[in-house]
Amino acid sequence: MTSLLRVENVDTYYGLIQALRGASLEVQAGGIVALLGANGAGKTTLLKTVMGLLEDQPDKGEIFFDGQPIHGRETEDIARRGIAYVPEGREVFRELTVMENLKIGAYARRDAIGEDLEGIFRYFPRLLERRDQWAGTLSGGEQQMLAIGRALMSRPRLLLLDEPSLGLSPLLVQEIFDIVKSINTDGVTILLVEQNARMALSVASRALVMERGRFVLEGSAEEVAADPDVQEFYLGLATEESVKGFKRYRRKKRWR
Amino acid sequence: MFQPLLRIAALAASVFAVALAPTAQAQQLTGVTDTEIHIAAWGPQTGPAAPWGAVTRGTAMLFQMVNDAGGIHGRKIVFHPFDDQYNPAKTVAGVKELVEKAPGIFAMASGVGTSPGLAVKDYLMERGIPWVGPAAGSLHWVTPPQKALFAMYPLYADEAKLLVRHLVDKEGKKKIAIFYASDEYGENGHRGAMAELTRLGLKPAVEVSVNQADRDLKSHLLKLKDSGADAVLMWVNPTHAVITLKTAAALQFSPQWATSSTLSDAVMMQAITGGLWKNMIYASFGELPDADVPQVKKYRDAFAKYAQQGERWGVFFMAGIGFVEPLVEGLQRAGRDLTRDSFIKAMESIKGYKGVMGRVTFGPGERQGQREIFLARTDDTGTKVTQLTPWAEVK
Amino acid sequence: MDILGNLPQVLFSGLAAGSVYALVALAMVIIYRTTEVLNFAQGDMAMMSTYVGLGLLVAGGLPFFWAMLGALAFAAALGAFSEFAFLRRAKEPTVLGLIIITLGIEMIVFGFASWKWGGDPRDLPTPLSPADVVVIGGVIMSYLELATIAISATTISALFLFLNRSKAGLAMRATQQNRAVARLMGIRVRRVEMGAWALAAVIGGIAGLLVGPATTVEPYMMWDPMMKGFAAAVLGGMTSLAGAALGGAIIGIIENLFGFYVSTAFKSVVPFAAILLMLAIKPSGLLARHYVKKV
Repeated sequence: MTSLLRVENVDTYYGLIQALRGASLEVQAGGIVALLGANGAGKTTLLKTVMGLLEDQPDKGEIFFDGQPIHGRETEDIARRGIAYVPEGREVFRELTVMENLKIGAYARRDAIGEDLEGIFRYFPRLLERRDQWAGTLSGGEQQMLAIGRALMSRPRLLLLDEPSLGLSPLLVQEIFDIVKSINTDGVTILLVEQNARMALSVASRALVMERGRFVLEGSAEEVAADPDVQEFYLGLATEESVKGFKRYRRKKRWR
Repeated sequence: MFQPLLRIAALAASVFAVALAPTAQAQQLTGVTDTEIHIAAWGPQTGPAAPWGAVTRGTAMLFQMVNDAGGIHGRKIVFHPFDDQYNPAKTVAGVKELVEKAPGIFAMASGVGTSPGLAVKDYLMERGIPWVGPAAGSLHWVTPPQKALFAMYPLYADEAKLLVRHLVDKEGKKKIAIFYASDEYGENGHRGAMAELTRLGLKPAVEVSVNQADRDLKSHLLKLKDSGADAVLMWVNPTHAVITLKTAAALQFSPQWATSSTLSDAVMMQAITGGLWKNMIYASFGELPDADVPQVKKYRDAFAKYAQQGERWGVFFMAGIGFVEPLVEGLQRAGRDLTRDSFIKAMESIKGYKGVMGRVTFGPGERQGQREIFLARTDDTGTKVTQLTPWAEVK
Repeated sequence: MDILGNLPQVLFSGLAAGSVYALVALAMVIIYRTTEVLNFAQGDMAMMSTYVGLGLLVAGGLPFFWAMLGALAFAAALGAFSEFAFLRRAKEPTVLGLIIITLGIEMIVFGFASWKWGGDPRDLPTPLSPADVVVIGGVIMSYLELATIAISATTISALFLFLNRSKAGLAMRATQQNRAVARLMGIRVRRVEMGAWALAAVIGGIAGLLVGPATTVEPYMMWDPMMKGFAAAVLGGMTSLAGAALGGAIIGIIENLFGFYVSTAFKSVVPFAAILLMLAIKPSGLLARHYVKKV
């Protein structure tokens, strides 16, 4: 069985700063893969590199989607092959209506989109209420729903989700993740970048941990969740309080 | 073997000499060598006043005819025309470059426009560089008279006076409006018309000025129409004349129009107005281009031989000849021993000279060579031009 | 002077002039919103298209309608070419750099037109004579002015429909708002940008073809409409299409009111005084929309 997405030994630079160092990853069709890591570990960079959003990057390495090389391609071509990316911070088109945002999501398609719209509104009934409102007037949670809905309108085979929980209330986070799960059940493979490791691991089938531009741990969601360092650094377990009341990490370096 | 070396040495020496002696040379640049007389002129070949650029090309043809006939006392005229786009800043830059670069410029010929001319007048006069036949009818050339400046173009003010006099006396017009460009050219016409109206004991129906940059003249024309004028004296550039007539037509405003010699190229005006140049009364400083007089015929025949493709035997092309004919005459009279002083003396000896323009007379203290003009009128179709008055000085 | 009796006439004349400024303003806004460039070549690109129309009409002997259509096709090609050949070449462009590129295009186009067609003004003959007029309620309306207003209004409406109802228009608006995300939607943004330049050049070209018959065709014919159009765009907020259209009408009208009732000598200064006033009172322009970012 070939993997849906394969990233091989990818180096990506921002100017002189190297953000990805020989990063490799495989995503099999079907599941939800969670990508964990601290701020600046290179998670978003990896997604942007896959989408070809960084000019002249990756510097080295190869990326395959469904067996075809996509590194060095134009973003619009990569998107048209069936990868949808929901960027961090939602990035809805603020001065387009909700409906227009959804329609633009299906821009590359030529077939009818009525059924897809119905599907989106089933996932997110609130979007239906606000269909003629400008997206810029929506709340953060609604914008996140719209961003996901917009991505789904292209009928992607792979959905890249970047920090869907950022800035949302715990209740909304739960709601979003429930829907992420049902989207996956409906047949879309998902690569999920998330700071909220607990939530991510709860929906994921597999998980990877990134540090300083490379992958340091990979396994099923249960295996990764059981890793003591993951427990300490990402799940907030087994920490001791310092005298001043701050969290203190016992072991600062492990994989470096 | 040594030749290339020698050549390089000679080149180096000359470069060195030029580098060393710029000031000394600048004072000696007279624009005259044993075999050449260098003469320059500016004239807009592009931009809003481009139709008047034919003047410069006419001057060029005259010089070419002179050269082909053997030159002047063993010297050929080298002509340096340049396009200043009717932009005084460009006129200054162009003139300075030519005057201050070897071999210099002996004299300026024609030179289109009041504003460009004013921008370089002092510069030329301070250096004693003769300037013959500015192609603009301004009082500035001759008040006060300058030693080296010989004006040919009849005064705009005189044209305006003659037109107003004609409109009142011969056409029976009572309410005359003045529509003029807000520049030297327009102001001169405006002043002349006002003086004549005052002399006749009349007031203008309205005075409306227009900026060079404007292309929407509806409010101007509404003002003119609103004044109830039965005649309008139009002192604007060709493009504004076109817009004026088109806008007037759209407002059903049809006074008797009268305009200056700068718009006396009836053929061109008829073409660019799309046929609106009808019953136009205008002043003329030169014989009509199709006039059956020997002075005109001579050049009309030569035109067929010399003119570039696309050139037209029109009023302004001919004016470029007429403004500069006295310069050639002056060079002839000055003889082989040509200096600026001998040239100016020779110019002052010209009396009653008749070329393609009215009679020309210079003298000590007399620098307005031509004062004669006449009025002409296009017919109902705008194609046929008739002379309304004989050549006359405006008193 | 009959103060009030002339008012309708002045307003009508102002609207006719303003509808041309509105087109130029719209063209500038389209390009500014899509590519964040102030296209100072807009006017002269229109001038060149007008010359092409004149050539097709007079030298080419095409019927009037087809000659004008040919001119607009040329305008589209010129706009697309300018984007492709000059703007796209800029590496990591700054706002100033892009403006300088458009000034460069302006110089090339103006220089070419002056060289190719010379400085002499020419007449653009139309089926309508300037003297064909109707008088309604004492206001004299020439067919040419009525056509100008009608064509301008139609163009503006068509543009609004295109942007708000068509898929390509939607893609253009999406690209304007967020280029990177538009690419994520599979929108080929370079084509959209090229298309925006072509569209803007066509709208500018329509302005040129309306200015030509009312005035003359010559290399500098669009300088004044261009500056007024730019003023209208700024007045409307530079990013608002409705604002640009409204700004054009306002500038045409106040300019004519000022010219008729106050002074023709300073008429052209008025639009810019209006802008200064606007910038002092409401810096974002008449209809510019700004978000207060929600946290």
